[in-house]
Amino acid sequence: MEKFKNNPLVKKIGYNRVILIGVMLLIYVFFSVGSGRILGYADIMSALNYACFLGFLTLGVTFVIGTGGIDFSIGPVMFAAALIGGRLLTKNGCPVIVALLVCILVGTAFGIMNGFLVAYMELPSFISSMALMMLAKGVGSVFTSTQTIKWPQLTDENGLGWYRNLIRWDAGNGVTIPVGLILLLITAVICGIILNNTKAGRYILCLGSNKEAVRLSGVNVRIWQMLAYVLCGTLAGMAAIMYVGAYTTVQPGLGDTFNNEAIASCVMGGTSMSGGIASISGSIIGVFIVSLLQVGILAMGFQKDYQYVITGIIVILAVFADVRSRRRAN
Amino acid sequence: MGDNNKKGNAFTNNPIVRAIGVQKIVVVLVIIILALFFSAMSPAFRKYPTLVSLFDYSYYISFMAIGVTFCLITGGNDLSIGTGMICYSLFGGYLITKMHVPVAVGMAATILFGMAIGVINGFLVAVLDIPPFIATLGTMMVTRGLGSIVTGGMSISWPPANAANGWFRSIFKIKGDGKMLPVGFLLVLFLVIVMSIFLNKSRPGRYIIAIGSNKEATRLSGIKVVKYQMLAYIISGFFAGLAGIAYGATFQSIAPGTGAGLELDAIAGAIIGGTSMTGGVGTISGTLLGVFVMSLLKTGLPFIGLQANWQQIITGLVLIVAIFIDVLKNKRAERR
Amino acid sequence: MGDVILTMKGIDKSFPGVHALDHVDLEVRKGEVHALMGENGAGKSTLMKVLTGIYKKDAGTIIFEGKEVEFANPREAQSHGIVIVHQELNMLNHLTVAQNIFIGRESMSGKLINDAKMNEEAKKLFKQLNIDIDPTEKMGNLTVGKQQMCEIAKAISHEAKVIIFDEPSAALTEAEIEELFKIIRDLRKKQLGIVYISHRMDEIKVITDRVTVMRDGGYVGTLITEECTKDDIISMMVGRVIYEDPKTESAVPKDAPVVLKVENLCAGKMVRNVSFELRKGEILGFSGLMGAGRTETARALFGADPKDSGKIYINGKEVDIKSPRDAVAHGIGYLSEDRKRYGIVVGKSVSENTTMASLLEFMKGLFINKKKESSTTKEYVELLKTKTPSVDQLVVNLSGGNQQKVVIAKWLVKNCDILIFDEPTRGIDVGAKSEIYHLMNELAAEGKSIIMISSEMTEILRMSDRIIVMCEGRKTGEIDISEATQERIMHAATLRD
Repeated sequence: MEKFKNNPLVKKIGYNRVILIGVMLLIYVFFSVGSGRILGYADIMSALNYACFLGFLTLGVTFVIGTGGIDFSIGPVMFAAALIGGRLLTKNGCPVIVALLVCILVGTAFGIMNGFLVAYMELPSFISSMALMMLAKGVGSVFTSTQTIKWPQLTDENGLGWYRNLIRWDAGNGVTIPVGLILLLITAVICGIILNNTKAGRYILCLGSNKEAVRLSGVNVRIWQMLAYVLCGTLAGMAAIMYVGAYTTVQPGLGDTFNNEAIASCVMGGTSMSGGIASISGSIIGVFIVSLLQVGILAMGFQKDYQYVITGIIVILAVFADVRSRRRAN
Repeated sequence: MGDNNKKGNAFTNNPIVRAIGVQKIVVVLVIIILALFFSAMSPAFRKYPTLVSLFDYSYYISFMAIGVTFCLITGGNDLSIGTGMICYSLFGGYLITKMHVPVAVGMAATILFGMAIGVINGFLVAVLDIPPFIATLGTMMVTRGLGSIVTGGMSISWPPANAANGWFRSIFKIKGDGKMLPVGFLLVLFLVIVMSIFLNKSRPGRYIIAIGSNKEATRLSGIKVVKYQMLAYIISGFFAGLAGIAYGATFQSIAPGTGAGLELDAIAGAIIGGTSMTGGVGTISGTLLGVFVMSLLKTGLPFIGLQANWQQIITGLVLIVAIFIDVLKNKRAERR
Repeated sequence: MGDVILTMKGIDKSFPGVHALDHVDLEVRKGEVHALMGENGAGKSTLMKVLTGIYKKDAGTIIFEGKEVEFANPREAQSHGIVIVHQELNMLNHLTVAQNIFIGRESMSGKLINDAKMNEEAKKLFKQLNIDIDPTEKMGNLTVGKQQMCEIAKAISHEAKVIIFDEPSAALTEAEIEELFKIIRDLRKKQLGIVYISHRMDEIKVITDRVTVMRDGGYVGTLITEECTKDDIISMMVGRVIYEDPKTESAVPKDAPVVLKVENLCAGKMVRNVSFELRKGEILGFSGLMGAGRTETARALFGADPKDSGKIYINGKEVDIKSPRDAVAHGIGYLSEDRKRYGIVVGKSVSENTTMASLLEFMKGLFINKKKESSTTKEYVELLKTKTPSVDQLVVNLSGGNQQKVVIAKWLVKNCDILIFDEPTRGIDVGAKSEIYHLMNELAAEGKSIIMISSEMTEILRMSDRIIVMCEGRKTGEIDISEATQERIMHAATLRD
């Protein structure tokens, strides 16, 4: 075991990440055996659809958890964004590009609200974001009069469905380019740079570790703390684009289960609930694991309910591992 | 709640006001104002059935809120009560209607299921030291899925009042000759009194407050904090189970996969009633008053044209305001 | 003094990397007040924690009332009659005084707690101690001094035979200390054994019968208080005379410009109308007892806490400091007394901490120039002789002294002209201490101005050019080093309204 840990390649990638990738492969094998068929192209594509929007949510919440906070509103915010954008597009004749921008802006707006409540009003993030979750659900329902919104299809004659190429582009000759995955990875790289190489990321992680010490260093901690939530909200808005790109149909009043999946992915990937430590690459691997689970559970013929149960258990296990490693470090 | 908080004013220094607590008096005023407002806005609100439906809404929120008050007083939280309540209610209803067990047994099973989840929550929080909000978030997901799994994704209706085994509905509401009596309120009141005495006059209650005030000092006083912290979550589970019964008894049918967000009504109620998010402070009677604010909003808003989707927005806003007041109070106490 | 009630012999205790107790002896008799002395980190608290069962000893014996004992937890020690009154008070602020005193052993009538009876009992206890405290008051509403009286009442209600006071006077006012001593004398009369841990030499002479001195986790010796002098105790504590001669005259030229002027600064109860000037190249000592308002003054000046009124001038220009950000922008750096909470970000690396206040200078466009960051950090690691394996080491893994150097480096990188050093050597070993003194002198010589808050009289007398003394939030003295004596400072530090 020690030998494995000290292997230069393992060290380079990070021990935890190697373990996570191993877990991911195990899950793949498990579901292949469990469902009696090798999970193939269709399953992988389906998992990628899921991973794309969940990935954006997870990237966002990684920043927030890095500050030592939590955001329970991202799922419903994503849905509110998709509902509002979709309604403008389908009922009000808004151009697609504007609808997509609206999605992102709605996310940003919620992020600003949340950041303001936490950083400036000093509310505990978990409860204020829960309140925002209610708000987002309500706004989505009110805006659409509690109607399901169907974004246009690629095959629609009016040509409004082009945005779906953002998730998967059929280049002809049977070649499909997973644009969504590429966008996700590019965003992840950018997030990684923000987190590790910019002032914003530096202060976000430092204030997550010891906010008061950072404040006494003459840093405007409120701004940076708020920024984490704004980033998170904006990324949730982007996630909305990925979601409609993959599924087109959005129902009001839902979305809160995705919070938990995003938080689970994030903590599994090595971001600490107590703040100060965050890993973008870990988060992305976590996203793939959760997406694979989602597809695998369906492939084995179980309902979505089982996924709730499993995600719940994963959240608890991941946080428990985090708590334990922290305790050992002390 | 005057600004001149250092010395207080004539109102806050009045002995009666001090005995009851300023916040409770303010909440009572809020309730009166809300009731007057809805009455003025809508003649339909002034009818007796509205009062009955107000009580119907208050039962399950009251029970959840009484339970979660104990968790809040320890400085923790229980987010699993909303989906949990639905899950336990589905389970109990399933036993009664599909497995044909006696209603009393079904009710006992509902409560036991709640307590079992409470034990798990308590174990995760008190023994494994997982942050309460994330531990109970996990069980929130679990109970949400479990409810559907038990019933195979079907809605469940507890037996109707006119069925042979529908007697349990008259615990909460006695119907006859087109008249309805919301007797469930007596049960709520009874439990509020019992749990108030438990919180303030029993050892476990005292230690639950002590843990919320200063866990380490309580431990050093030789008190088994793990035991009492766990107890708070088991109480919360018990009351979520009771809420499940109330929900089954007052509403037509229970849909699986719902319940997320209902815990916030209860938590908001408790905080409006003066329970602090930071622990150590809280009263059951205050929680009951807070719950009435929430159920007034739930019943009253449709009368002024704001349907269910607005209620989520209002709940969210009320929650933010309630917590903000709590944060302000704590800051003020710190400064002293 | 009566019979021996408690004997600890050859107590040994190690933590990973630290030999905290090295065969320590202690003997307490009935009806004596036994001082336990030693510098910070000498092992006094650890010894008491072993006694009360918080730590398990590695070797040695504890004999209490003639029987060998080993307590599993403080609760068990308590039930045998050994009670500790902690330095950090463990209070349940939301419960009443009586509820606190009887926590865990409430009077019951049937299944219910009988609060009325507990209030009665508490009243009796207070009467016995001659203290005036309302048992039904919420603990959080009492002053620290009163809270401590409650702790003592609690200890007595346990029918304690041995009471340990762990730095009880640290947070008390003079009047409260008087009251405390009265109670302690009373307890002595009742034939209790009392262990009194304190740093204050004067108190030791006044209240104790014998003194046991510890140094670096080891037992040095036991003296009879009456038969020894302060110097005897001090030399046992330090083992060698490390106290250099105090500074005799100020190193600051008379015409040095005033860099900082504070006028009538007010902030809450702890900072009342404080005015002072700080000259270029000066080390201005802030002396006073615990709770005199020195840290609060520094924090208000630095913008860490809101101030109510008062003017601040830097280089003759009035400045408006509302937050630490403003203070840092005006060239003020603040080294907190509580390093772990307010100084360092423990989970981050040496270089991340070093550049915290001046990150802007390390930006290349949007990005942090990590090369420059680590080379600058290296420079300061060498300059301050910080012991760290690399600049990427997490500061949590450094010793207290080295952590302190990282904080100093943070402000040096920022190139602050005014530095506030709040208890700069607290919890730091002797070697690192003199390094920090040396560094402060160098900085002052370079023209930086330093405000040094310190509770150690020797430190104040050794380092300061001028001394401001505070008491209860007010400035009660300003003494040039050439005229400063311990007595004069002490006199000013106890000047009350």
